[in-house]
Amino acid sequence: MQSTVTAIIDDLSNVIFGKQKQIKLALTCLFSQGHLLIEDLPGMGKTTLSHGLATVLGLSYQRIQFTSDLLPADILGTNVFNSNEHSFTFHKGPIFSQVVLADEINRAGPKTQSALLEAMEEQQVTVDGKKYNLPDPFFVIATQNPLYQSGTYPLPESQLDRFMMRISLGFPTKEAEKRLILNLQKRDYSQLPKRIDEQQLKQIQTQINGVTLSIPIVDYIIELVNFTRNSHSFAASLSPRASIALAKAAKSWAYIDGRDFVIPEDVQAVFSSVCLHRLGLHSDSGEAQVRELLQAVPVPV
Amino acid sequence: MIELKNEKVINLSLCFIYACLVIFFSAHLPLPFISVLAGLCLWNAFITGKNIAKPNAWLANILAAGALGLMVFTIGMSDTVILFVAMLLLSSLFKLLQAKNKKHYHVITTLTFFSLSSVYLFSQTIVTTLTVSGLYILNFAVLGLLESKHNLKISAKQSSKLLLMALPLAIFLLLFLPKMPAFWQLPGPKLAKTGLSEQVDPFDIAKLSNSDELVFRATFSKQPPLTPYYWRAIIHDEFNGNAWLTSDFLKYNNQQSNQNLATEQNTLIANYSVIAEPATQKWLYGLTYSTSNSKNVDANALGLLRKQSYQAKSLQYNVASYQFSVNPLNEFEQNRYTYLGFKQNIKTNKLAMQLKEQVSNEQTFYNALLNYFVEQNFTYTLTPSPMSGNNTLDQFLFENKRGFCGHYASAAAFIFRSAGIPARVVSGYLGGEYNNDNNTLTVRQYDAHAWVEVYLQNKGWTIFDATAVVAPERLNGSLSQNQELNEEFKNNLDFGLVSLSNFAAINWLRLELEQLDYQWSSWVLGFDQEKQNDFLKSLFGNKTSWLVPLFVLITAALCFAVYFIYLNWPKTKTAKLPPIVKAYNEILHWGNKKNITSTDSLSPSQQLEFMAKKKPSASKELIEFKHLFENSRYANKPFTKERKTQAKDLIKLIKSSK
Repeated sequence: MQSTVTAIIDDLSNVIFGKQKQIKLALTCLFSQGHLLIEDLPGMGKTTLSHGLATVLGLSYQRIQFTSDLLPADILGTNVFNSNEHSFTFHKGPIFSQVVLADEINRAGPKTQSALLEAMEEQQVTVDGKKYNLPDPFFVIATQNPLYQSGTYPLPESQLDRFMMRISLGFPTKEAEKRLILNLQKRDYSQLPKRIDEQQLKQIQTQINGVTLSIPIVDYIIELVNFTRNSHSFAASLSPRASIALAKAAKSWAYIDGRDFVIPEDVQAVFSSVCLHRLGLHSDSGEAQVRELLQAVPVPV
Repeated sequence: MIELKNEKVINLSLCFIYACLVIFFSAHLPLPFISVLAGLCLWNAFITGKNIAKPNAWLANILAAGALGLMVFTIGMSDTVILFVAMLLLSSLFKLLQAKNKKHYHVITTLTFFSLSSVYLFSQTIVTTLTVSGLYILNFAVLGLLESKHNLKISAKQSSKLLLMALPLAIFLLLFLPKMPAFWQLPGPKLAKTGLSEQVDPFDIAKLSNSDELVFRATFSKQPPLTPYYWRAIIHDEFNGNAWLTSDFLKYNNQQSNQNLATEQNTLIANYSVIAEPATQKWLYGLTYSTSNSKNVDANALGLLRKQSYQAKSLQYNVASYQFSVNPLNEFEQNRYTYLGFKQNIKTNKLAMQLKEQVSNEQTFYNALLNYFVEQNFTYTLTPSPMSGNNTLDQFLFENKRGFCGHYASAAAFIFRSAGIPARVVSGYLGGEYNNDNNTLTVRQYDAHAWVEVYLQNKGWTIFDATAVVAPERLNGSLSQNQELNEEFKNNLDFGLVSLSNFAAINWLRLELEQLDYQWSSWVLGFDQEKQNDFLKSLFGNKTSWLVPLFVLITAALCFAVYFIYLNWPKTKTAKLPPIVKAYNEILHWGNKKNITSTDSLSPSQQLEFMAKKKPSASKELIEFKHLFENSRYANKPFTKERKTQAKDLIKLIKSSK
């Protein structure tokens, strides 16, 4: 399985240049059955990454472009009157897909955002009092523009918490950008091979569950989380859901790194992606603060 | 029903405890009843060992009723103490036979604490105490097994720890708890503890030499007086034709204290203290004319010592022994000590008359009689042939000529009285085993002896002991040390440590044990109110009366305070470091010294990598150690011996790198 994971990373690296870490983090998130939030400026490759992930993992894919006039029914689907049968039939919305790319999620109104986030949490939707199960696996990859851009409705903290990770791609290096421009024609994610199927994905997930999380690591996670709770330099502190997410993400990261046990470095690697948005920090300015935090909390031996 | 994990072990342990108790009580309970108890023990062990079902309630109840009947029949209702003990043992064993669940076993362990403690009613020696302590530990371990899934070894370790922890408290209580007089007293066990009786029947004492039971120990404060030691216990002044008795007159007319008399008396012979083992009789032991200043001890006009009350524990008292007074006897006494009353043993009477004619005064008569025993080839034996009829003394003196102290004393006293010289038979103990180390004389039942005190004019009461001429070795030391009689003595003795004293090692062990037991008796069992007062005086000076309770209260309060503080003390992290962490710390310490560690907050792996970069000569080992550390610490892989040695080797290599 390990080789497959490496192959997936290599494949994606061929579409998004020089962003190995972000690719790994995105995979980590999906392997731990978490939803992913990508925050970045337009044109940074958010869509490419999400589409590429879906293709490589062999999952069905739908993209929803969030706009300010998007309504919940546009995402979930709606009951339409069938005049032949004289009854309402449910027309599934774009959310009924294994990977949903919610593009520019913060441009839609709160009502629509909530509809999506409820579906994320419960893995089912309710339309006119009837429940419909969403497919399994079900991933939401949402992208959002940085909040200072105009015409955005920022997601409330409670809903941000539903995303296991928030990553940002950032500008490519000069080298990568040069390659990007030169390879313009070849850069097509639809050409990516399908590396694994649902079955194998499930297998990977069970293997990740079996990754050893030793007591010193748990202690470390608790120390980190408690630091944010006792320190006054953070707008919000980390919830138990955050510590669980941290542990899960660290396990996946260790698995992707080819280990069957977690080391403190795994926790450090995923920490900012898992925790920045929960601490109410911006992706770029927050990084420095997280580094300070990791410095301040000694790793238990 | 609760399934017990260790039921078999629990059952067998309890069986073992009761088997030990049965062995101990076999000396105190009638044989048929002991056999029943032993049978129950064996039955229990057998069905447990073979996993056979326990007998049903119906059968067990019938058997219990039968055993109860046997108990009452063989023990009787008069001795309530032994009856109580017997009932306790019987009920525990039957309960064990029927025990099926945890609750039952709880009841049995509780009963066992009582059963074990009841041993102390009969013996308090150090050996008993140690054995009972061992069994207590086992019983506690069983209690632990009922509540946990440990094995017996761990459980026993825990209970030993508990007992050790209780020891300081026990010492504290012994030293400081005010000694109260007993609220109630045990009715004395009926089984004779002391070998002497108020009636000297020669054969009684012959039986005594079978027992190596301890009677008392005497410790001399200074150099002990010269041998022989005649420990007087009872005076027999009345002859009934066969045996010498203590007359009622003597019993009731000499009760007044001799404290004043003693001080007017002659020279002091010795000062010493005696620890007497528990006995049902009131008499105590002293040399010649004895007085005592100890509480609980009376000294009477005859120079004999008596307990004031019966006690189930050993008694320690001080004695001052004086020479006998030379004051002449009054007429009444003169008559009483020469009275014979029966016209039997005519030959003996005749002998007395013959001897009297040959001599001029009492002193020469005394010598002549001694000579007579020597000349007529009398021999001393521990196994005299039985004599019966009305003229036993005649038989002894003229036919058998073999006898034990009782025979000689009876005969001599009779002859003296026939010749009109005041005489009385005294019984007590002769000699004892002297231990140089602690200046102590140990006297056992087989040292029992009888001799004659004759009143000689101008000399007062004088000891006449025919044994002294028949078997002079008997006068020095104990019977066990007597070479000539040794074989006969050992053949006669029940199997025991003394009977094995031929072997040097065992004899050494026996003497050591005795030494230990002596310390135990004098410091623990004998730690009475007087000793406690002395101890407290040495601690606080003279004003102890109100200090003792105050001190106890303050100490108790302090104990509770310490315990309370301990309970509420903030728990510090003193968790044991895993060996791999210790190894890592060692390397880190080395790195700090070499100044190759990063001051940043790094994870152990990062730190090791950092060091590897800084110290290329050791980088291979450091990286190898990093893998070892990660595997052991984070992958939850057991830190096996190989890994341990690997870590050690790596540390060695890293430290030796240049």
